[in-house]
Amino acid sequence: MLNSTRPIMIESRGLSKDFLIYHKAPGFLGSVKSFFVRENERKAAVDHFDLRIYKGEIVGLLGPNGAGKTTLMKMFTGIIVPSRGTLTIAGYTPHERKMMFRRKIALVMGQKSQLWWDIPAMDSFLLLQKYYEVEESLFQTRLNTLAELLDVKRLLRVHVRKLSLGERMKMELMASLMHQPEVLFLDEPTIGLDVVAQKSIREFILSWQKEYQTTVILTSHYMADVAALCERIVLILAGQKRFDDSIQAFEQVLGQQKFVTVDFEKAISELDAEVHAAFWAALSPTWNTRRTQVELRIPESSLREQAIFLLQNYPVSGFSTEKLPIERVMNELLSNPELAQL
Amino acid sequence: MSELSKWWATFRVSWTQYLAYKMNFLLLVVGPVLVFFFIRYNLWKSIYTLEGIDTLQGYDFATMLTYQVWVMIIGFLGQGYNGRNLAEDIRLGRISSYLIYPFSFWRFHAGNFLAFQGIQVLVSVVTLAAVVAQGWVPLSSASQALAILTGFIYTLCVGFFWFQMSYIIGIMAFWLDETWVIRVMMITISQFFSGALLPLEIFPEVLQKILAYLPFPYLTHVPVKLFMGEYDGSLLTAYLMLGFWTAVLLLSGRWLWDKGIRNYTAAGI
Repeated sequence: MLNSTRPIMIESRGLSKDFLIYHKAPGFLGSVKSFFVRENERKAAVDHFDLRIYKGEIVGLLGPNGAGKTTLMKMFTGIIVPSRGTLTIAGYTPHERKMMFRRKIALVMGQKSQLWWDIPAMDSFLLLQKYYEVEESLFQTRLNTLAELLDVKRLLRVHVRKLSLGERMKMELMASLMHQPEVLFLDEPTIGLDVVAQKSIREFILSWQKEYQTTVILTSHYMADVAALCERIVLILAGQKRFDDSIQAFEQVLGQQKFVTVDFEKAISELDAEVHAAFWAALSPTWNTRRTQVELRIPESSLREQAIFLLQNYPVSGFSTEKLPIERVMNELLSNPELAQL
Repeated sequence: MSELSKWWATFRVSWTQYLAYKMNFLLLVVGPVLVFFFIRYNLWKSIYTLEGIDTLQGYDFATMLTYQVWVMIIGFLGQGYNGRNLAEDIRLGRISSYLIYPFSFWRFHAGNFLAFQGIQVLVSVVTLAAVVAQGWVPLSSASQALAILTGFIYTLCVGFFWFQMSYIIGIMAFWLDETWVIRVMMITISQFFSGALLPLEIFPEVLQKILAYLPFPYLTHVPVKLFMGEYDGSLLTAYLMLGFWTAVLLLSGRWLWDKGIRNYTAAGI
């Protein structure tokens, strides 16, 4: 990660995008009023975003809804024009939309199909072959390889509108990789898919990236995607970059802590727990409704003594520990954004 | 060569899309003919019969019917393309893919339009064969065949004018939530001033002189007269005027796109 020996693939400096948002009061009167006077507000969706990504990196772009992830993706792919700042991808300014730039990138949007809905995927692939000027024998090889890897050979001649979400997403991936892009933008590629389909998409992306050293930028609300694919995480909150480092560093952003689940033989009432109120308060406990299980965050340095204390004072029947998984770190950071200061 | 293959691939995909829904395609082919028969034919028949008119500004019923047949054919070739919900595509953020593919948005739509024109030529030929068989359009001499060929070629250029007009109205969606009002206004105005509803000879002479500098007469009146073999003006002037206004639209389209794309937010993704 942050390997300065590799060429820079994406670089942004002070990148910002403002949107003008109109407000309208509800109801008929609101409509009449807004016909004459439209109240508006300028909102920064992305604010002074500096980023440097090297060739071959897989970077997870994380943040809650409305944080600015998709706006960033739209600027990276040249779909929208930045309000301020500079952005270079593979040596090109995306919003100039030069044909050579378009050939170097691909975008897969989980929530939006880019294939032509009314025709079989194969027809779309043939069209893209011409658009990207992929030589016939190379096209056939890639088509066969991708169709086999993704197990969709029998679906190539089926109308896209007849495919399931998982099948369609595999076709979207095929369409985006047919020209072997240098930079692949994946915006929620596994959204709405079942766990088996999610896993197969993840494995495919990983094997493809390893083979071709494609630079991949991924946004996903599924932390399993991020954990499986990304070596580096960039966190964006309210349009600003708040974290940019390795996934290992992200896991430790809240300190060296372990996540511990403790099961009890019988329910621990609030009254029972109050006896050691200071002990519990320090460990951020989350109880189940029957109060027979509790989740605790314990600093690694004091894990041994806290565990002994628990065993000595409470009827513990089970005990499990794990590192703070990134999903929990994300939840914590979203609840307390001030914890994620660069 | 690779550029040509991109256009050809676009034609093929467009045709596949048009043929994807059989009933839609059937209505596309037979719909205008049915509308013509049930509305235009019966309308003019009623006007001539009920009012007891033999001629209207020199047009008897048979000539008026021929005029209206050519207006229909020009409608197929010239004004059939509706821009395939371009405005909606912009508003709902569906044009994003075309900003990423290495084939521009305009070229994709132009390819789509040309594919559509291919189908419309076929529809026109079939319709024409039917009306000639019906005796509504005379076709018995080489000069009439040449007139029809001249009219066909000219009308295909009119089609390109309307495609560009449709494209411009569509990309107004960068600024406007609804563009259909502009489309309806444009079609209504042009139908009136182009001679699609009434032959322009019926209009006051001063208005005809003013219209000669505007694109309207070159969109319906001129091609109808070419088809009927009655055009007494300069064909070169007609092409130059049509070419001038098409160039104005092309430049305006480019300018509007460059301005509008800066407003594009790719909503919904």
